[in-house]
Amino acid sequence: MGFWSFSVFILIIAISAYWYGNTKALRLNSNSIEKLPSLPKYYGNYALIWLIFPCLLGVFLWITLNTYILDTILINHLPKELENSFAGGINMLVDRVKTINIDNPFPGTNPELIDAAIFLENKSNEVRAYFLWGIISISVLLCFVSLKKISFKFKARQAVEKSNVTLLILCSIVAIITTVGIVFSLIFEAMRFFDQVSIFDFLFGLSWSPQMAIREDQVASQGSFGAIPLFTGTLLITLIAMLVAIPVGLASAIYLAEYSSSTTRSIIKPLLEILAGVPTVVYGFFAAITVGPFFREFADFFGFNIASESAIAAGGVMGIMIIPFISSLSDDVISAVPQSLRDGSYAMGATHSETIKRVVLPAALPGIVGAILLAVSRAIGETMIVVMAAGIAANLTSNPFEAVTTVTVQIVTLLVGDQEFDSAKTLAAFALGITLFCMTLFLNLYALKIVQRYRERYE
Amino acid sequence: MKKSGNLMSSKIKISSKDVSVFYSQNKALNNITFDIDEKKVTSLIGPSGCGKSTFLRCLNRMNDTIDICKVKGKVLIDNEDIYAPNVDPVLLRARVGMVFQKPNPFPKSIFDNVAYGPSIHGLASSKDELENIVLTSLQRAGLYKEVKNRLSETGTSLSGGQQQRLCIARAIAVSPEIILMDEPCSALDPIATAIVEELIDELVKNYTIVIVTHSMQQAARVSQNTAFFHMGNLIEFGSTQKIFSTPQFKQTQDYITGKIG
Repeated sequence: MGFWSFSVFILIIAISAYWYGNTKALRLNSNSIEKLPSLPKYYGNYALIWLIFPCLLGVFLWITLNTYILDTILINHLPKELENSFAGGINMLVDRVKTINIDNPFPGTNPELIDAAIFLENKSNEVRAYFLWGIISISVLLCFVSLKKISFKFKARQAVEKSNVTLLILCSIVAIITTVGIVFSLIFEAMRFFDQVSIFDFLFGLSWSPQMAIREDQVASQGSFGAIPLFTGTLLITLIAMLVAIPVGLASAIYLAEYSSSTTRSIIKPLLEILAGVPTVVYGFFAAITVGPFFREFADFFGFNIASESAIAAGGVMGIMIIPFISSLSDDVISAVPQSLRDGSYAMGATHSETIKRVVLPAALPGIVGAILLAVSRAIGETMIVVMAAGIAANLTSNPFEAVTTVTVQIVTLLVGDQEFDSAKTLAAFALGITLFCMTLFLNLYALKIVQRYRERYE
Repeated sequence: MKKSGNLMSSKIKISSKDVSVFYSQNKALNNITFDIDEKKVTSLIGPSGCGKSTFLRCLNRMNDTIDICKVKGKVLIDNEDIYAPNVDPVLLRARVGMVFQKPNPFPKSIFDNVAYGPSIHGLASSKDELENIVLTSLQRAGLYKEVKNRLSETGTSLSGGQQQRLCIARAIAVSPEIILMDEPCSALDPIATAIVEELIDELVKNYTIVIVTHSMQQAARVSQNTAFFHMGNLIEFGSTQKIFSTPQFKQTQDYITGKIG
């Protein structure tokens, strides 16, 4: 039985279970003076839930356990001699068997391996059939029991609502588990990196050149993994981006929310939001071929010599990219400030601009801070513009006209191309990742605290 | 109509002449003409949507902040038309304070709430002077004793009645001549209402007060003159006592006795 026929089968059972539950409830209602405690459709839904939940759980179990079960079966099946003769251990052998194309094996492949692959294929079909039939029989049984339960004493609505809540909880747990999973995978890889490079050198080293010797005798083999230049580069570019985005974004938000007529607003706001829809790659080459050379010529004019790949080009363009975030979110927040506060201020004889400065903006501050912090984390995570406009040279500098690089760009360059997954060079990406994660985490926590404090004050 | 003796002796502070208000095409007020006496409480009563709040907002040109709202006619304060082209509404509103239906303290500390007006108008030349203005205003609004130890707390942390008195203190901090009150007690409980009403009795010694109210009892308690509005028209205006005891028009009587409203 294939997966699709299984799905169709379950769907048919589901529809009939719902229909039957519904009809049985209706029949009970019409045949007696006593009425069921819930509406008929809840009885149908209840049966449906008892069919679908076990099904999903079963499929989930199957997906998680399948590889493990098949590997165990295969390992037990493979003859010891083959295992011993194969260089690279049992796990390599299992992977080798799995990659064999049974219909058209690579000429010269060991026939024993091909046999094993065919065996594996058969077993895999067998295991899948067991699982699918198991799932079907268990869930149909549960569904049947739930249909049997329909009576005047059974409150289906409460049961259905309870399972709705359970579903919502499960969904939120998925997000949490994913986050935890990401963090742990980062931590474990980063720990392997810190076995090879000391954490102190990584966090406080001033030089970044991630070269590792592939052969013992290679020249210039000793790399250095000091992350400081990357983090200063990230901060420099983020700072420049924010210097562009915050004033412009906030000013346009104030104009949109407070001064513009509704027609102007209906034109300008979508236009600003188009900025948010431009892919970052496009911004990247805009920065690299237009803004970068512009700054170089501009500096040439005054007799300075700067690189066309510079922090200011990347940061400036990134700032432009972020403007719509800040303006759109702040505009919503400012518009949400109650009119009664504005009226109160006008009634005191305050002008429009005094009202904005002293009443509206302070009241909107938590939201504006939130918008800015969202923009900061966007800027820190941005990669494409920096690759194209600021380069990959890890200079430790605070000069915005020099080329710098950021953490995310280095992660990309470390993981692009053929990599050994046990070399410090590759593992460094995970160390950078976890450090960046900690940084943004603390930034967010701090931001939440600020927002909380203002919220207490202003609401 | 004839006015009673004590009203005759009063000076006229605000004079409304043929005031009509339009929201887009809809006429909300129809040729309102009457005079408001200085240092008296004048209450505006009438069923919902009768235009009394709209009229109140004409007196400090708050209707200017609504784009679709057009005002015709003249409002004279001390014999000067406040709708004349050379009048700056911002300066006018410093002379005509306003207290709103729902207490709307700014998201600032109690002190800063009251200091807001004086500081934007530059009324205080030093910190001490500003503090003096704030404390006097709080005292006049009868709030000082309750908040003297918590001036730096946020204005929204006060109870509803205290918030409304804070708004009154805020309004009187710029020493206006007139205070407009738009149903100032409708969001308050009876005890807080009683306190605000006492405060109005106290304030009227120094200010001209115009109050919109839904409560006939409140109008009877606090005001010397009453204007009854219905469907955008001024039906009847006179001393409160007269309006409530011997109304001239049937509509007024129906409203006061609760037959319409």
